[in-house]
Amino acid sequence: MTDFTIRKAREVDLDEIMRIENACFGTDAWSVQNMRDELIGEQRFYVVAHAQGSADQLIAYAGLAISSATSQGDIQTIAVSENARGQGLGRALMNSLLAEARGKSLTEVFLEVRADNQTAEALYRSLGFEQIDIRKRYYQPDDVDALVMRLTFAPSLSAEPLVLGIESSCDETGIGIVRGNTLLANVISSSMQLHARFGGVVPEVAARAHLEALRPTLQEALAEAKVSLSDIDAIAVTNGPGLAGALMVGIGAAKALAISLDKPIYAVNHLVGHVGVDVLERGTLETPTIALLVSGGHTSLLLVRDLINDVELLGETIDDAAGEAFDKVSRLLGLGYPGGPEIDRAAEGGNPQALRFPRALTLPKDMDKHRYDFSFSGLKTAVARHVEVAQAKIESGEATEFSVADVAASFREAVVDVLIGKAINACVDHGVMRLLLGGGVVANRRLRELAQQRCNEKGIELRIPALSLCTDNGAMIAALGAQLIMAGRSPSSLNFGADSTLSVTTVQSP
Amino acid sequence: MSVLLAIDTSAGTSVALFRDRKLAAEVNVVDNMKHAETIGTAIAQVLIEAGLTGRDVQEVVVGRGPAPFTGLRVGIAAAVMFAEGSGARLSGVVSLDAIALSALSQGGASEAQPMLVTTDARRSEVYWALYRGLNADGVPVRIEGPLVSKPAALDEILAARNLKPQTTELRITGAAVGELALALSAMGSLDPDVSALYLRAPDAVEPKAPGVFGKRVSS
Repeated sequence: MTDFTIRKAREVDLDEIMRIENACFGTDAWSVQNMRDELIGEQRFYVVAHAQGSADQLIAYAGLAISSATSQGDIQTIAVSENARGQGLGRALMNSLLAEARGKSLTEVFLEVRADNQTAEALYRSLGFEQIDIRKRYYQPDDVDALVMRLTFAPSLSAEPLVLGIESSCDETGIGIVRGNTLLANVISSSMQLHARFGGVVPEVAARAHLEALRPTLQEALAEAKVSLSDIDAIAVTNGPGLAGALMVGIGAAKALAISLDKPIYAVNHLVGHVGVDVLERGTLETPTIALLVSGGHTSLLLVRDLINDVELLGETIDDAAGEAFDKVSRLLGLGYPGGPEIDRAAEGGNPQALRFPRALTLPKDMDKHRYDFSFSGLKTAVARHVEVAQAKIESGEATEFSVADVAASFREAVVDVLIGKAINACVDHGVMRLLLGGGVVANRRLRELAQQRCNEKGIELRIPALSLCTDNGAMIAALGAQLIMAGRSPSSLNFGADSTLSVTTVQSP
Repeated sequence: MSVLLAIDTSAGTSVALFRDRKLAAEVNVVDNMKHAETIGTAIAQVLIEAGLTGRDVQEVVVGRGPAPFTGLRVGIAAAVMFAEGSGARLSGVVSLDAIALSALSQGGASEAQPMLVTTDARRSEVYWALYRGLNADGVPVRIEGPLVSKPAALDEILAARNLKPQTTELRITGAAVGELALALSAMGSLDPDVSALYLRAPDAVEPKAPGVFGKRVSS
C-alpha cells in the first residue's frame, strides 16, 4: 500500500487521532482535552493522513505550532500508525508542515526527538534540521535524552540574497538576476519588431511573445549570471502596472518557478522597479529623490522618500504616454517604429525653434490641478494639423516642400521641454535636489541633454542609469525584490494577481 | 516513486498530482477569470496534500487548449517554469483530448457515431474536435479538429458528412489531463510541444498608410 492522502485535520478527527496517539505513545500520550485544544487552537496547523479509499480511518497525523510574532514554528507532534510505517508517510507529513511554515513566512522551525529514535533523527536531518541542543533525560520514565533540532529557512536571505526577477508588463520579456545590490544578469527579449507594422504595442501579440520567450530568456540569464536555479534564494515578479494579459504570463511563470524551487516570491511594482534599479549602479538609492519615468506606457513623476516605504505619485499623463506620442508622430511623418529613435534621426539638423508646438498643462490655470501632470494628445494633433496644412500647400503649388527635420525637432523639443520642466519644478517645489530618470524614452538624446542642462542650472544632481537598465528589464525587478528581502519584508502570498493600474504606493503586493 | 503534475487553464484552473500513476491530489477552480491568482495556490495545494515538494516531480504535463487566450497562457507559463525549476520532463496535450478521454471512458464511440467535444471559444464560437473512440492504450483517437467554428457552421460540417455524433457535458479536470498523459506515456507518445493552441490570429488591424506620403493626415 503506497497510496495515501493528506489533508488538514478537523475537530471530528479527534477520536481517530487519539486512537493513534494512545497506540504510539502509551503512557506518554496527550489527554483528549490537550489534543482537542491543539486541533482547534489558533496558530496551529495539523494534518492527518488516510489510506486511499478509507477516508474515515486515519493512519497518521502531525502538527505545527506557529508563532507569527517571532516567525518561529515548532513541530508539536508526529505519529504514524505502526502498520503504515516505511512508506514515506512521515516525510510527507513533515513536508506538509514545512510547506505551511514557509507559507507563513517562518524563518525557523524547531523540534525535539528522542535520542534513541535514529530513524526519525535521520529523517529530520535529511529535511535540513540540525541539532542545536540536547535536553538530558527529557523523556521519562525511560530516561532518554531529547535532541533539539532546528531548520532555518533560506539562511542567506537576510545578507545578500540571490534574486531572480521576471518582468513582462509590456513588450519586453526581462529576466534579471542580482545578488544583493550586484547585477549578475540582465537578459531582455523584446517583441518590438512584431509590433512595428501595427505602429504600437498590440497587447495580444506581446503576451504571445512573452510565453515563447520565457524559457530561452531564463536559460540565457542563468548562463550570464553563472548560477543555477538551485542557487536562487527568491523570485521577484512584476504584478503591475502594465498590460494585464502580458503581466499574467510573468506571474504564472514566477509562481510556478518559486513553488518548484520551494523559494519565496515577491510581487513588486514595475514603476518602483525603475527607481530601484539605481542601487545596481550605486549600491544604494539616495533619497529623497524625484523620479521621472518615461516610456511607451508610462509618463510618471514620483517623489521617492524611501524606496520600499514611501513612494508618492506627484503626477502622470492624463492621455498618451510620451513614448506613445513619439510613435504616433513618427507614423504621421511616415517614419518607422519605435518612434523615439526615428524622430531623433529625423530631427538631425532640424531647428527645434522653427515651430512652436503647444506645451500642454503648463499654463498658470493648469497649475492647481495638473501641476505635475502631462498631456500629449493635443501636441500630436497639432503636429498632424501642421503637416496637413503643409501638404495642402504643396498640393496647391503654394510651397514646394516642408521640413520634416524641423517638425521632428520642434515636436521633440516640445515633449522634452514639458517633461524636464515639470520634473525640475517638482525638485524645486519639494526641496529635493535629486532627479532620477527611467523608462525607455531616456534613450532619447535630447531628453538627456536638456535634463543635464536644466539640472546644472538649478544645482540638481541628475542620475541616469545605463540605458539597458532604463528600459523595461528583469534586473530592476530582481533588485527591488532584493531590497525588500534585505529590509526583512515577508514574501507575497501565492494568490496575488495582475493589477494593470497598480498604484506606485504599493511597492510590494501582499 | 514517479510523480506527475498536470496543469490546465483552458477553462478554469485545473491542477492534479499523480503518485505512481494514481491520482494523489486535485484542485479544480471553475472561475475562468482568475487564473493568475489561483495557479500558485492550486499547485502548492496538491503538493501539500500529497506531502511532496517540487523536487519530487518528474513529469509536468500541460493542456495546450484550444482556449481563449489570456488564461490559457497562465497554465502553460507555469508548466514551463515548473519544469525548469524541478528538472521535470515537460509535455503538452490537447485539452479537448482530455475531455474526450473522460467522456469516452463512460461509453464508446465509433466511426459512424463519433464523440463530439466542444468548449466555449467566446465570440459566439466553439472549439471542437471529433473522436471515434479510445485506442488500445486508452488514448482518444481524434478524427477531426481541434478547430474553431460558429455552431451553425459546425452543424453544417456534421450534416454534410451525415454525422450525428454523441456529445458530452463534461468539463476539463486536472485528473483527466494527467490520465491522458499517463496513457500517452504508456504508448510512448508524450509530446514535448507545449505551444498554445490559439486557433485565431491576434485582433490587431494594421493602420492605413500614413504620413506625408498619404493623401490626408489625421490624428
